[in-house]
Amino acid sequence: MNHLLAVFFPNHVLNKTAVRILIATQVAIVLLLWIFSPFVLLPKPGEVLSALSELWEQGLGAELITSFYLNVQAILVATVVSLLLAYATVMPFFRPVVALLSKLRFLSLVGLTFFFTVMTKSGHQLKLSLLVFSVSVFFVTGMADVINGIPKEMFDLARTLRMGEWRVVWEVIVLGQIDKAFDVLRQNAAIGWMMLTMVEGIVRSEGGVGTILLDQNHHFRLAAVFAIQLTILILGLFQDYSIGLFKNLLCPYAALTLERN
Amino acid sequence: MATPSYSYGKTLLKIDNVSLEYDGRPVLSGVTAEVRDIIVPGRVQGQVVGILGPSGCGKTTLFRIIAGLHAPTSGRVSVNGFDRPVRAGEVGVVAQSYPLFEHRSVLGNLMLGAMKKEKDRNSAREKVMAFLREFELEDKYNLYPAQLSGGQRQRCAIIQQILCSEHFLLMDEPFSGLDLIMLEKTADLISKVSDMDDLNTIIVVTHDVAAACTVADHLWLMGRSNDEKGNPLPGSRIVKQYNLIDRGLAWQPNLTSTAAFGDFVREVKDEFRRL
Repeated sequence: MNHLLAVFFPNHVLNKTAVRILIATQVAIVLLLWIFSPFVLLPKPGEVLSALSELWEQGLGAELITSFYLNVQAILVATVVSLLLAYATVMPFFRPVVALLSKLRFLSLVGLTFFFTVMTKSGHQLKLSLLVFSVSVFFVTGMADVINGIPKEMFDLARTLRMGEWRVVWEVIVLGQIDKAFDVLRQNAAIGWMMLTMVEGIVRSEGGVGTILLDQNHHFRLAAVFAIQLTILILGLFQDYSIGLFKNLLCPYAALTLERN
Repeated sequence: MATPSYSYGKTLLKIDNVSLEYDGRPVLSGVTAEVRDIIVPGRVQGQVVGILGPSGCGKTTLFRIIAGLHAPTSGRVSVNGFDRPVRAGEVGVVAQSYPLFEHRSVLGNLMLGAMKKEKDRNSAREKVMAFLREFELEDKYNLYPAQLSGGQRQRCAIIQQILCSEHFLLMDEPFSGLDLIMLEKTADLISKVSDMDDLNTIIVVTHDVAAACTVADHLWLMGRSNDEKGNPLPGSRIVKQYNLIDRGLAWQPNLTSTAAFGDFVREVKDEFRRL
């Protein structure tokens, strides 16, 4: 009984088997609630699977590849741009610029479409630039916060080891925060998927899952909407897991001091 | 045990009329002191200075100035007789939390220090491994700092700084939060490091009077002086210096159990309370 109640104890750490059982139980409960839900508008799992099969036959796979390719491309560009901008804040000149860019995250993409349309030459470029912009403003904010949060003693340590200021930047900010950069990337790659469907809804050239999602939603085909959402979720989880795997491989030290490891 | 005869050699570290102000508010005012090489015939003898003072008296500020990490408003700290202010890296610094680069292994951390003085990687690695053997950390070289115990981390931080600095090591509150056993071990470690080379000079900044008296050969007491009317003067300075060698309270085995040690600690504490 105590073992069961332990899942409600604050800061209690479970072993891996217990965590697996807990997750399996919660997934089963969600499935049961879904299957037996009295809410008539909620499509049942069978209907969703059937809609998924239908969508797949109509080319959902190809649309997914289009969207996945666009998202990966946007994440890569946004990562490079955001990291460079965040690292540039070591120089006072760039701090106001980055602070201003960070504030642009409050702007709506719809209001920016016109300017990006004027600046780009194709639908793909337009979507890519909108996505890069929307991910970068969040990425740069997260990464600048990581850099601002580095304790003074780490800079002192580097200086007492006779490092020049650029070497201090490399050791303390770039190498020293690479594990946290992965965490920021992880969050922003997820934001990428959220923005992607919006961007593909705004710019419908090339198609993509966002376009299909909006079409199905427009016609109130809820089973199909659920099927697409489920597919995006699975793809997103795969992406999240892959980034986490890379982080653990490259930064094995990052998890050593965590309680919930 | 009788205190061996000793003499002073050249000045190793000089704090010359150092003052510091923050927003016009004096923090340090005319701090002046020097560490000279202690020469004991027939043995290697380093120097250990304890800087004592109440909380908020500017010990850590002086610590950063001695380390070359902060420029004073006026005055100068110089080392090894150089006619210029001390530069960051010339004085090793071991901060209270023993910071190390968490993304590097123990070996990686120590190589960063060793490579600044050694010509090639092989000789730097040999030197690092020799230190690791000396400090009983040889089997920990491939661990990350997060995998070390507090004591191991402290030793690793000390080695890193010794490898890089010019015989000087500043330690900020090395006795803070330690139990009796660890406190003795830390005191032994400080003595061991200082006695590795005649020129090795360790400056321990602390508010633990008894611990400072255990390891130091000289003590500097920091605080505010009073004017003739008894009003505190602005900014802290070194108000009193003690030579523990002349009092027979340095380099002695079982020092802490002697009556003379107890009397001296009481004397310093009384002075401490007046600050």
